[in-house]
Amino acid sequence: MSLVIDHLSKRFGAVKALDDLTFEVAPGQVFGFLGANGAGKTTTMRIAVGVLEADAGQITWEGRPSTELPRSTWGYLPEERGLYPRMQVLDQLVFFAQLHGVAPDRARREANAWLRRFRAEDLATRKAEQLSKGNQQKIQFIAAVLHEPPVLLMDEPFTGLDPVNVMLLREAFLELRDRGRTVVFSTHQMEVAEALCEAVAIVDRGRMVVGGSIRDVRRSTGRRQVRISVAGDHRLPWLAAVPGTRVIQAGMDRTAVELDEGVEPDAVLAAAIAAGARVLHFELADPSLEQVFIDHVGRPVDEEVHLAPDAVDAADAPAAEALA
Amino acid sequence: MSRFAALRGIRLVAMRELIERIRSRAFLFSTLLLAGLAVVVALIPLGVRLFDRATISRVAIVSAEPGLAAYAAGTLDQYLNVRLEAGGSTRQFTFETATDEVAARNEVLTGHFSASITLVRTPARGLEFRVYSSGGLGTDRAQLLQVGAFAVGILDWTASQPSTVSPFIQPGFEVLDASTGGASGAGAMVAVDAADYAGRRIVGIVLVVLSFLTLVFYGMWVASGVVAEKTSRVMELLISAANAEDLVIGKILGIGIAGLVQVLLVLVPALLALVASSAIGDAVLGPGSGVSTSLGALSPALLGAFLVYFVLGFALYAALYAAAGSLLSRAEDLQIIALPLSIPAVAGYFPAVLALSGSSAWFIRVASFVPFWSPFVMLSRIAVGRAEAWEVAVSLLLLVVTVPVVTLLAIRVYRAGVLMYGQPPTLRLYWRAIRGG
Repeated sequence: MSLVIDHLSKRFGAVKALDDLTFEVAPGQVFGFLGANGAGKTTTMRIAVGVLEADAGQITWEGRPSTELPRSTWGYLPEERGLYPRMQVLDQLVFFAQLHGVAPDRARREANAWLRRFRAEDLATRKAEQLSKGNQQKIQFIAAVLHEPPVLLMDEPFTGLDPVNVMLLREAFLELRDRGRTVVFSTHQMEVAEALCEAVAIVDRGRMVVGGSIRDVRRSTGRRQVRISVAGDHRLPWLAAVPGTRVIQAGMDRTAVELDEGVEPDAVLAAAIAAGARVLHFELADPSLEQVFIDHVGRPVDEEVHLAPDAVDAADAPAAEALA
Repeated sequence: MSRFAALRGIRLVAMRELIERIRSRAFLFSTLLLAGLAVVVALIPLGVRLFDRATISRVAIVSAEPGLAAYAAGTLDQYLNVRLEAGGSTRQFTFETATDEVAARNEVLTGHFSASITLVRTPARGLEFRVYSSGGLGTDRAQLLQVGAFAVGILDWTASQPSTVSPFIQPGFEVLDASTGGASGAGAMVAVDAADYAGRRIVGIVLVVLSFLTLVFYGMWVASGVVAEKTSRVMELLISAANAEDLVIGKILGIGIAGLVQVLLVLVPALLALVASSAIGDAVLGPGSGVSTSLGALSPALLGAFLVYFVLGFALYAALYAAAGSLLSRAEDLQIIALPLSIPAVAGYFPAVLALSGSSAWFIRVASFVPFWSPFVMLSRIAVGRAEAWEVAVSLLLLVVTVPVVTLLAIRVYRAGVLMYGQPPTLRLYWRAIRGG
């Protein structure tokens, strides 16, 4: 049984935040929910945890609609990070775990274990207001997982973390997946999704653009790439002889060449050999998620222009409009 | 399971709130300040008596005729310093005989005496009182002196007359207990009604002001607590972990208990001070000084009523404040809602003060049943002893019914409001929040 986003629609005044959004997440997967700001990622997660109500459609987990599921089904890391500023970190963690029904001594033990693995034991007795942003984020992540929820919903979990913490968090994701949890996280950083996810859904303006396993999504545009490495001239002058090819990433070691639909990879290899280049490495590859996103949506993921009234503050506006 | 979970949520939220409040520095300081103020207020009656004693008018009496000054002083003392109760008196004057008129008048100017009376025998065997004062004698005391002069004159005249069949008899004068009709016993108040009523009013004012201030004060705690959860953005985590009912009820409960703790921490030292002031009064002013007046009015029943109305009134106002706070985005906006929110409380405060002065006009009777006002108005009526048991019962019943209704409405607003950021708090917004749930 899986997590199903089932024809979900939600409108905030004039803005359609979700427009018949549908996709499925297999249990035990790390799933990337990709889209620009205002694509509807936060709204979808808020509907799942019961903070918002859908206008139409539903979200189900193991066949049960989210409105009937206990709150402890979800481990939610909101995009709006926040803790009680004057409360000690360990006390907050225990408080939130207890709200989800975890016994206090067990919550304390688990919280300490997580702090240790995030190399943050010294934060336990500090007040939240004394923490750096990155540390607050780690604490919030722990708050989301302490009650061992079957599904994790993480809204932009990697934003604002330094590389070391990104690595720690990625390891945690994978470990949670290995323990059988389903991890859904939203991001607009395509490389992160590429490195971590088994499957993704790309959404734009509340609509599903493309979804499925990483491999299927990357092949969904019909474009392909070759990565080639030759001795001598790395600029590949002979490539001009093959129409429908373009260098997208030049490098001393490997050069990535994109092929238009219908252009066979063999043609590139043939041209290289014909030009007398000594081919050291030749590999077929799929386009990057970034490229896929641009192909499908028509602009890069971090370009912000699109949405109508609520584009100003994507996180605030939906709720502000909720009464309209 | 859900019922248990709901109780668990309320308990956890309330505990967290209570601990955070009580540990906060603001709680410590405001408790110390209020307790100090309450003790001062409780000691005021004692201070007034002490001060009063200091303003006993000292009057010098000078007369050229031997014995006349002493006789007048004795008579004036007897007539003007009324014996109110066994061992006690409302002593307003001290009369001292003096020999040198000029020296006595000078001492009036220096303030040693409030007045100096020169008693002169007129040729027609009458008496003339020349009262020298320099503002140290109020009109009421001057009037009393005139009455005293009349008494001295009459007695002096009768003494000079040959004995007749029916000589002048001094009129009897005795202060009796109005309720029993008998003489007031040792230590009992004289003129029971007036003194006791004054005490009840003092206690009533203290209790009404206390509940008015605390309801508005702790109400603001609730509102600012909700706003703080929004501004610190912990709200989204919170409402994904617990439902709005738990959060609202838990917060009201936690802050309410913190408030109750503070009220008790303020009241107990004040009550002890009242008890002590009676003993201090006896020691300083002599036994039966009558300082303990206000304590007599502070019956356990009245204290109980105060606590019951405080708890129910707080629940009602706190729900309003929670709803109001949920629609705010910034702590500064609290200023905007503080005044309109205090209007219902202020509107109930005025009939309460009128009720304390003994009025039982129709609008006061009505106000004492209105749930938002009964915590003040009915409490006032109880304090001055002008509420029937059934009236108290009805007002409590109305409160008990209203609290959950208002709380449910507050939860609706809260649920819609907590994720709203950036909109100014207008009435229209609240109405839409209630309607839209």
